[in-house]
Amino acid sequence: MSSEARTEDAEAIERAATGRSAREPAWRRWLPFGLLLLGVLVMLGLQSQLYSGQERTVSAIFMFVALAQGWNIIGGFTGYASFGQVVFFGIGGYFTAVAMSHWGFNFWVSLVVSGLVSAAFGALIGLPLLRLKGHYFAIATLGVAEGMREVVTNVPQLTGGGAGISVPTVGKDATTHYLGNDGFYLLYLLVAALSVLVSILVARNKFGFALRAIHQDEDAAAAMGVNTTRAKVSAFALSGLVTGLVGSTYAFQQVTIFPERLFDVDITVLMVVMVVIGGSGTVLGPLLGAVALQFLSEYLRRNFTEVHTFILGAIIIAAVVLLPQGAVNYVREARQSGEWSLLANVRRYRL
Amino acid sequence: MRSKSKSLSLVAVVAATTLVAAGCGSKGEKTAGSGGGSGTLTIGASMSLTGALAREGALTKEGYELCQDKVNAKGGADVGGKKVKLDIKFQDDTSKPDTAAQLVDQFNDQGVKLILSSYGSANTEAQASVIERNGQVMADSAGADNKIFEKGYKRTFAVLSPATEYAASIIKSIKELAQPQPKTIAILSADDGFSKTVAEGGAAAAKEAGYTVLPTQLFPNGTSDVSSALTKIKGDKPDVIIGSVHLVEGVAIIKQAKELGVVPSGGFGETVAPPTPDFAKTLGKDAENVLGSSQWTDSTKGSDKYFGTAKDYAKDITAKYGHAPDYHDAEASAACLALVLAAEKAGSTDADKVRDALAGLDTESFFGHIKFNDKGQNVYKPMSVIQVQNGKAVTVWPTDSAEAKMIWPGTKQ
Amino acid sequence: MSQFLQATIYGLLQGGLLALIAVGFSLVWGVMNVVNLAHGSFVILGAYVGWKLNSAMGLDPFLGMLVAAVVLFAVGYVLQRWLINLVINGPIFITLLLTFGLDLLIVQGMNIVFSADYRSINTSYAGDSLALGSVRVPVGRLLAFVIALVVTFALVALVNRTRTGLSIMATGMDRGAARLMGIRARHAYALTFAIAAALAGMAGTMVGTVGTFNPAAAGGYTLLSFVIAVLGGLGNMYGALVGGLLIGLVEAWGGQYLPGTWVNALAFAVLVLVLVFRPSGLVGRAYYAARQEV
Repeated sequence: MSSEARTEDAEAIERAATGRSAREPAWRRWLPFGLLLLGVLVMLGLQSQLYSGQERTVSAIFMFVALAQGWNIIGGFTGYASFGQVVFFGIGGYFTAVAMSHWGFNFWVSLVVSGLVSAAFGALIGLPLLRLKGHYFAIATLGVAEGMREVVTNVPQLTGGGAGISVPTVGKDATTHYLGNDGFYLLYLLVAALSVLVSILVARNKFGFALRAIHQDEDAAAAMGVNTTRAKVSAFALSGLVTGLVGSTYAFQQVTIFPERLFDVDITVLMVVMVVIGGSGTVLGPLLGAVALQFLSEYLRRNFTEVHTFILGAIIIAAVVLLPQGAVNYVREARQSGEWSLLANVRRYRL
Repeated sequence: MRSKSKSLSLVAVVAATTLVAAGCGSKGEKTAGSGGGSGTLTIGASMSLTGALAREGALTKEGYELCQDKVNAKGGADVGGKKVKLDIKFQDDTSKPDTAAQLVDQFNDQGVKLILSSYGSANTEAQASVIERNGQVMADSAGADNKIFEKGYKRTFAVLSPATEYAASIIKSIKELAQPQPKTIAILSADDGFSKTVAEGGAAAAKEAGYTVLPTQLFPNGTSDVSSALTKIKGDKPDVIIGSVHLVEGVAIIKQAKELGVVPSGGFGETVAPPTPDFAKTLGKDAENVLGSSQWTDSTKGSDKYFGTAKDYAKDITAKYGHAPDYHDAEASAACLALVLAAEKAGSTDADKVRDALAGLDTESFFGHIKFNDKGQNVYKPMSVIQVQNGKAVTVWPTDSAEAKMIWPGTKQ
Repeated sequence: MSQFLQATIYGLLQGGLLALIAVGFSLVWGVMNVVNLAHGSFVILGAYVGWKLNSAMGLDPFLGMLVAAVVLFAVGYVLQRWLINLVINGPIFITLLLTFGLDLLIVQGMNIVFSADYRSINTSYAGDSLALGSVRVPVGRLLAFVIALVVTFALVALVNRTRTGLSIMATGMDRGAARLMGIRARHAYALTFAIAAALAGMAGTMVGTVGTFNPAAAGGYTLLSFVIAVLGGLGNMYGALVGGLLIGLVEAWGGQYLPGTWVNALAFAVLVLVLVFRPSGLVGRAYYAARQEV
């Protein structure tokens, strides 16, 4: 790996030991938070410029930013690629829908509880599953997600089964006034900002360094005293929390939800594509990847109605071949080595 | 972080922001008024052009396109004394309900208030709630599930008969025409909301007709393996097997029943699948004498000024698209027709006026009778029951539009 | 009792076909550590080849499947040699993403070329069934099952007895050492992928004979391949066979004794349990259990 990584390792060790770095001036430490705040303010300003339907499109972008950041915690930082991440989305969504329609909860309570339930579920299945590695972990989580979808489909008394379940939004059953496109824009923005915040916090504190250590060499990390099980499970639960919050918001926005959509494997794949194309294991990568990909697919869908998926597939292939390490990492490494050529990039990873 | 990375991040955030802002356009673009200005009647259609429902979505698009051609061939619709050309804007919802709903919002932004539905009950349900909130109007061509209309929506109108009629009409036709009468009916159903509503309607109709109804057997939606369900009912020796299905499961029931030796003396009746040409092509001889229900056949009674009779419609579809019409084509054209007629009746393209005109619409058409009850459903048009005879679907019920006699019992022993 | 037997027979027959679909997937994953998300689309592509030959020339699908195998072999070789080989040294998700993009491309391509209409390949004999007592054995499925078994055993023989096969296995075990020994790794990888694609295509034609298909069906087969490959142990072809039969039986018995819609949940429960308690799969040790998997 490049020299930057080695210096980062040294910084990592120092930071792991002392909790902060002696070399970094204070203003630089606060920079990511400042940028985040700036981004949020810009998005708030943007809202006044958008029509209702466009708000919805941008809300979808925020939704995927949050999803990508959530996945990045377990997949990017820790290196455990979860292919069943959508299970948290679905659990968050269905818990909210069930709580609001059967138990009369109001949405805000449901939101918080759904997030916690998803996190708890993550901790629960994380304990047995995080013992697996690599592709095995990926498939096991996929199995859990698909299995959960089937379970939800088969308890219609609770979840409505294949026929779906509706959150009450009109009449006396409605516990919370429907937020409308304006409201959901703000809510999704909030959730997305929260996810980026969590990501920044994880990236720069002891926990995050423990995760990165696990990613690089789990046995060495364990030998250095990192409690790998606790770290991994916590990461999984945290990613579940973020994803669950998104799911809960989604359920309220959609009003009527179905198992095939809330546990759709396509959503997980999109999350992974966004993070990897943006650059996994970074804070900025998932953000950029989510924005770029969602924007691109929306644009293609509107202007190339017949063939948009085909073009999207071609673009993904091109992006993966030319930028396998993701955009952010590519730029970082290129600055480092001065080697900007994409062809050289291709040569690096090919057989 | 190094200063380079910091400035990189700054640039990236700004770039992302600009990207998002640029892609969304500025507010000044909004066109005033609905209907897209003078001279055209703009209608938005969110279609399932890709994804799981692509096939049915393509047929729905054909129906909408033919409607556009027919209306514009007469110079346009006659709205408020002027001829306005029909302009249908198509978008792909990739067969996902949330995208379908999002597209309705996007149409609303562009000032398009008159909407033609996507395919299927799930998508239509998602769209209906947005329509209600935005004050748009939707003509529903393919969302039959009664659940959509139990929610108190006032701005969605379905031209097709409700889901409960799909299987019930087959039962009714058997009750009326079958000699000797069967005794036991078995119902197999896919587990999605629409199919379950259909199955319930069929079970209720069968009980009312005095038949013994076995408990409904469910299987996963979209499966091509229904062997478990068939094996379970084999021992009960049902006289008729009714399938509340879509094309894949419908074909699977017939194929696997033959493989497993499940031979009901009265034969099979299925929803959705038998009227489609693919059904007879795929099954060949095994499709003979299977009953099916259809929203429309080319012998449906009625005519209107744009499409003529059902037979004319069939000719037009075949000429334009090279295949015999599926009822999905017809119901789509009918929905478009309903909107056009409502606009003409209201004399305006204003959403509220069109909505009221639709609510009061009462007219004949190539699709049959178009009229809506206070929930927005078209309960005034019976469904047709067809039977596959010599590889073609022929109408056998209601008797006044029947092309041939029902062959009973369906299965030769 | 006869219901149980019927379900068992049906499950085994179905399982054999599933095994053929999955064995290539397992081989590719085991040898090259590539998870091919486009595998299901190869199956459907094979089905379309068989269907086109049948509808244009009346070629019997059980002969057409050989043509499908050849076509898919070529497609697979080209894809691996000149596309996937470009990223194979990168982090594992890269190949995942590449095959995801490929899957989008192929499925949409089929949608555009063949339309989303459901197709089926009809033969005069496939729908008939042999009667064994009270149990019926469908002819089409039986043929597919037998062919699946034969091909799997042929594959094992190819891999274990011929130089080509051994070079593939060697490359999978230790690529660097294999190259040092004179094995052309790029070619070996391309061959592996090509074989997997050919098997998928062959199975696809048979799928078309016993059921209906359209482009949207591809995803389901990829998912099933995942499950079966892991159950059987990656790279282990007998394991894929066992895994396939097991899944077929689980689905058939589950469908019989549980309410009809719990079947899929059961299959996934089996998968997760096996992974948790026996991660290297059900059948013996996976060939590559010792390899560093990250």
